[in-house]
Amino acid sequence: MSDTSPSVFADATEGVGDSIIELDHVDKFFGSFQALSDINLRIGRQEVVVVIGPSGSGKSTMIRCINRLEEHDNGRIVVDGIELSADVKNIQEIRRETGMVFQQFNLFPHLTVLDNITLAPKQVRRMPKKEAEEWGMDLLTQVKIPEQAKKYPGQLSGGQQQRVAIARSLAMKPKVMLFDEPTSALDPEMIGEVLDTMKDLAKGGMTMIVVTHEMGFAREVADRVVFMADGQIVEVGTPQHFFESPDEDRTKLFLSQIL
Amino acid sequence: MTTTVAKPSRVTWVRRNLFRTPLDGILTIVFGSLGLYVIFRGVLFVASGFVNGRWQIIDDNLKLLMVGLWPVQNLIRIGVSVAVLALWAGVIGGVIAGRQKRRGTSSIEGLTAMQRASDLTRRFGLVTATLLLLLSLTDTAGPWIMVLSAFVAGVIGRVIGGWIGVRFLPIWVSRLFTVVMVAVPIGVFLYLTSPWLPDPLPAARSSEPSAWPLAEWEGFMFNLTSAAAGIVLSFPIGLLLALGRRSKLRLLQGISIVYIEFVRGAPLYVLLLMANVSLEFFVPEALAPSRVVRAIVTFTLFTAAYIAEIVRGGLQSVPVGQEEAGKALGLTPTKQMRLIVLPQALRNVIPAQIGQFISLFKDTTLAGLALGILDLLAGATAITQQPDFRGQGLIIEALVFVGFLFWVGSFTMSRESQRLEKKLGVGTR
Repeated sequence: MSDTSPSVFADATEGVGDSIIELDHVDKFFGSFQALSDINLRIGRQEVVVVIGPSGSGKSTMIRCINRLEEHDNGRIVVDGIELSADVKNIQEIRRETGMVFQQFNLFPHLTVLDNITLAPKQVRRMPKKEAEEWGMDLLTQVKIPEQAKKYPGQLSGGQQQRVAIARSLAMKPKVMLFDEPTSALDPEMIGEVLDTMKDLAKGGMTMIVVTHEMGFAREVADRVVFMADGQIVEVGTPQHFFESPDEDRTKLFLSQIL
Repeated sequence: MTTTVAKPSRVTWVRRNLFRTPLDGILTIVFGSLGLYVIFRGVLFVASGFVNGRWQIIDDNLKLLMVGLWPVQNLIRIGVSVAVLALWAGVIGGVIAGRQKRRGTSSIEGLTAMQRASDLTRRFGLVTATLLLLLSLTDTAGPWIMVLSAFVAGVIGRVIGGWIGVRFLPIWVSRLFTVVMVAVPIGVFLYLTSPWLPDPLPAARSSEPSAWPLAEWEGFMFNLTSAAAGIVLSFPIGLLLALGRRSKLRLLQGISIVYIEFVRGAPLYVLLLMANVSLEFFVPEALAPSRVVRAIVTFTLFTAAYIAEIVRGGLQSVPVGQEEAGKALGLTPTKQMRLIVLPQALRNVIPAQIGQFISLFKDTTLAGLALGILDLLAGATAITQQPDFRGQGLIIEALVFVGFLFWVGSFTMSRESQRLEKKLGVGTR
């Protein structure tokens, strides 16, 4: 959350202050199917944006385009002043600046929890082993499971695994965190602990884009809510505006279905 | 209140499991009697082997079967080499065990002495029993000294390795250690084949050949060394082929596919025959490698194609999310492969890989017929034609001996692979 309390922006696609992520007229096709059409979005520094929408609406595809897990076909994506292009150097640089948390955690099952976290700092940032391990333990303390450091991911509960995954992303000291349905694969009783970790992160001033179905989280933490359907951004607004007086019929329909 | 479920009586068990329906009854009777007959004949075969088996032929030819025509005065080189290799293997085993102890993933930590002993017996009991059996057939002290010194060297190596393993070594020391460990088998090989290295005992220097070139390696030694060389060399080639087949570079992909499909389409025996006769078309006679080298090269290239397909299967078994997580963390494609995908892929296909290596070990016997090398099988066949044994139908005894040695080797590999699987399975679901 930003220091300046968010308000309804004149142009709701504009973020707070200077933007760290810009999507301009982004299109994405899978074969002949258009997954994203004409996406325009600016995300401000330290802003928390929650993306919601029915499944298949392109939410995940959008954030996966930001760190080039998917390649966009038209338009411009700029992350922290670096434009995403075919240039491998730019892609690597953007990936170092952005962390991503997946629905299925995607922890490395052959490495211990601590090794999962220290792998990228050691290999990409060339941090010395000792320093990386201290940093890794700090992060594990932040997500409240330092005692699990020597275990393997398979020995942890789903909620603990997802918290390790968050710590692993944070280990690269990213400027932006992308969350792709981080609680959708979890048992209900474990969702809370992961959301709490994400709230702490938001309070700490991290820029976050969160694709989720957790409306409570959106209401409580988001600076803005983005509603997507059929590959398009239908509506953008503050949580208050979005949940209480949405403009679009499509949004009203969706909200009536889930609330 | 406790209720106890009555254990079904034996009659009930038989009725439930063997005679539930009329068809079950018929199947039980037919296969039961067939099974009993096979067991009966099998026991008879083994018993008659012990009672009537004429094992003199093995006794007389043991040296020929093991190392072929290796000069007797020079066997000391084999003895020294085996001891060095035992030391080497001991150090490696010790280092691995030590590392596991340091990381707290040791499987032997916390076992009682008895459990440890039974674990060791299960692992090495069969090999030890076989060695003792072979030693009991010898009539000189040399083999005993060799095995004993190898045992002592192995134990010493295990202790040294364990001491190194639990320590945190500076990076340059551990690199140096790796280099030494790779250099040892190469050194042993040079020592065995190079006449310019001095003999260990003055007495052994007496007569002409002071070393025995690779081209002359025969007997079980050929089977063991060519299988070991084939395994070590085919693995990296197979790995590269698998990566090549998945590569986005069309040329590399094409070459890999053509190679793999061509080699897999030909019987190994045909490839060995081709290596024997058609190499002269391409290489001048003076430069053509020896039969043993041809055999090893053929084994390597053949097995590499199979390993490539096995590894490719392993690569496909790793979920795509693993690679994505690596990408998202900013790892380069090479590091995604080396640190994340490959370790998981290789672990997933250990059984198939070891199966391929066991196959190769046994297939080394094809070289006898195809290339005229006097390997264990060819030797065992040849000795039945010696004047002392000709016409006595001793081929069964000879074949049983050969089959037994290969079984011991294959079974040991198979069990070590299961152990490895279990060990590497730590922490996976």
